[in-house]
Amino acid sequence: MRVILKTRPREKPRIPIEAEEIIPQNFLRKNEITVFHGNKEKSLDDLFFVTIEGPAVSPDQVEVILTGDTGVIKRVGEYMNAGRIIIEGDIGMHCGNFMSAGEIIIQGNADAWLGREMRGGHILCEGNTGHYCAAGYRGEKRGMRGGMVEVKGNAGDFAAEYLSGGEVIIHGNCGDLPGVEMRGGTLVIGGDCARPCGNMTGGTCMVFGKASQFLPTFRANGSQEVEYAGKRYRMNLFRGDVANRGKGTLMVRA
Amino acid sequence: MAGILIKNAFVIDPLSGIKGEVMDIAIKNGKIVEEEPPGAEVIDAGGCLTLPGGIDSHSHVCGTKVNFGRYMSPEDMRAGRTARKGVMHVTSGYSVPTTFGNSYRYSTMGYTTILEGAMAPLEARHTHEEFNATPHQDMLANTLFDGNWSIMEAVREKDIARAAAVVAWVLAAAKGFAIKLTNPGGTEAWGWGEDVQSIHDPVPRFGVTPAEIISTMIRANEILNLPHSVHLHCNNLGVPGNYQTTLDTIDLAPDLNSKRQSLYLTHVQFHSYGGSTWRDICSKSEDITRAVNNRPQVVMDMGQIMFGRTTTMTADGPMEFKLYMLHHNKWSNHDVELETGSGIIPVYYGRKSLVNCVMWSIGLELALLTRNPWQCLLSTDSPNGAPFVKYPEIIALLMSRRFRENERRMIDPRTEHFVPLFAIERELDWYEIAVMTRAAQAKALGITCIGKGYMAPGAEADVAIFPIMPDKVDPSVDFQQVMAGFSRTRYTIKRGRVVARDGEVVVEGANSTIWTKAHVPDAYDMSLDPEFQKKFEQYYTVRMSNYPVQDVYLPRGVRIDTEAQL
Repeated sequence: MRVILKTRPREKPRIPIEAEEIIPQNFLRKNEITVFHGNKEKSLDDLFFVTIEGPAVSPDQVEVILTGDTGVIKRVGEYMNAGRIIIEGDIGMHCGNFMSAGEIIIQGNADAWLGREMRGGHILCEGNTGHYCAAGYRGEKRGMRGGMVEVKGNAGDFAAEYLSGGEVIIHGNCGDLPGVEMRGGTLVIGGDCARPCGNMTGGTCMVFGKASQFLPTFRANGSQEVEYAGKRYRMNLFRGDVANRGKGTLMVRA
Repeated sequence: MAGILIKNAFVIDPLSGIKGEVMDIAIKNGKIVEEEPPGAEVIDAGGCLTLPGGIDSHSHVCGTKVNFGRYMSPEDMRAGRTARKGVMHVTSGYSVPTTFGNSYRYSTMGYTTILEGAMAPLEARHTHEEFNATPHQDMLANTLFDGNWSIMEAVREKDIARAAAVVAWVLAAAKGFAIKLTNPGGTEAWGWGEDVQSIHDPVPRFGVTPAEIISTMIRANEILNLPHSVHLHCNNLGVPGNYQTTLDTIDLAPDLNSKRQSLYLTHVQFHSYGGSTWRDICSKSEDITRAVNNRPQVVMDMGQIMFGRTTTMTADGPMEFKLYMLHHNKWSNHDVELETGSGIIPVYYGRKSLVNCVMWSIGLELALLTRNPWQCLLSTDSPNGAPFVKYPEIIALLMSRRFRENERRMIDPRTEHFVPLFAIERELDWYEIAVMTRAAQAKALGITCIGKGYMAPGAEADVAIFPIMPDKVDPSVDFQQVMAGFSRTRYTIKRGRVVARDGEVVVEGANSTIWTKAHVPDAYDMSLDPEFQKKFEQYYTVRMSNYPVQDVYLPRGVRIDTEAQL
């Protein structure tokens, strides 16, 4: 089944739409899907032109395509457990919260909290992403626990904060403090970043660009060769964060 | 107010000696009355279990440290969210909910009176403001005296009268209810990064021992004729092998009062550990309950832990620091000048952790091995052991051996080698549960004099009607029904008004705050004592005239007056 959701023109296009119900499994149910437009609950038809093509018997066969002015839509794919969502444009905050399986492809940029606390599945963002990509929410000590997030562009600050499982790959640059409080999983940064992995206790982080303002609480631990994007790089290894009795591995290109 | 008539209620009212009778209860002007008031609204209880309103004798629901627990745990605020509905405000939070969340949840469980376990006198205003936002329960505040410098000086001088005078002044100033000692001496020592290891260790820099503080305060309490006894959180909380300290403390308790206990020990589960390290921790509940069974002058509460996520918060700063060293999670420690301290840490009690399983068993053992239910009250030290919403589950565990056996299969299989729980066959009955959740609390807190905890004519009309038919439900088999029944009353009546119905709060509340004022002769009035005044102005960062909580903070205060024997 293919569901195409095209945003209708709105009088006030800046009002955010909260759409945690836009997940593939919901399109198999008969009852209506509602979304919030500001603080008003609306039916999906009020805000989108909905086209449904073909049948489906399980959520795996459902593909949701979002087009139009999608940059203000929040929480798309929250608790998604199967199927695929393709966003032909930008997407708002909290895309793919807590998702456990399935796939989200974002062809534009993603706003903050992309794939926060996700448990599994796959998110691909062709553009840039905002702060707190694949992080844990306020106060939560375990962020992303499984699955994979791949960002072709740059990420904001606090990427992969509290990462405890799964893989995060950011091909571009990261902002300040990527992988802070990491406790497991893998974080790969293709470009530059600042102050990586503060307070990390576990997991692996690789920085293939330049790591500026490197924290002094990491202990040098030899070097190693690693392959990234078809090339082999020699990496300096560090253990830490010593300040937090950490046993994580941080690699920076030599 | 036309009044209410509750018909066909299956009443258990231990303080009035009613052990399960089907009868009618008439309510007028917020009081239970003899005769049916004309034009009364009739509630047909249909044989359902009807008890006096629940009383929680130790819970942390209001005050600075509770609020700091809220600040610290935004993730906790993501749980337990409810939207505004009718008169109900928005609520959120699970282990440290918003004040309205606390109030509504207690109300739907039939609780009408709560004692806040620890209020630092200096920070009393905050506590009273939160009391006003907990509208469905009458509130009382235990006032912390464990590290009060004036008290420690009086103890050092062996001047019980002066200690009593300080207590009288501070209680009246902070509008507190009773004396709370939290790790006496230890919390103040923590101000210098130290702690005490036993009740006979001297407190560094003060030249007193915890034992002297406890004994002096018990006697000062009786001199002032306070309604409640000293409310004690023993030293060495949560340390393996601490049961010896607890036994020593129980030995200190004299029998000074014929109406109630002379010493109230709180969350004793945390103080009943044998062994010497976390690896060989075992239950010493048998020793503790043996001591308590032999001493009618001691009352304790369980401090049961339940598995799951919660937040610990106590005035016991050093203990919270030790807990932080174990968990390495976020933490807070706080010093209240010249008075006490506090600490807060979120924790998770897991079924996979042997230590947690042993702790869980000890709490239940305390309740099951204490012969007299009036001496062991039900509590979780909410939220330290578990949020209070777990009370129904604890009731079910105490009433059903089968439920305990079911749980046994879920917990760490090694647990049974460290605890006697699974050999205990006792199952509590409805009467004992009624005692442990309301009557004994009212008696222990000494608030029967203001009509709390019973339903005889003249009492406050606080009534809880649970959707449980005691003659049809066998609690040892139908523990699920017991749990469901105790978590949601059919009606909760507070001071003659139905406040909650079938799990929903139906009116805006109007609670009162109960506090005590002990009248002392002028010679013992601390506000006139030059030395006390001088030290106050010298050491406190507030002026003595600004220290007392103004009446405006207690719009519906209820004062219990006592006459001191000085």
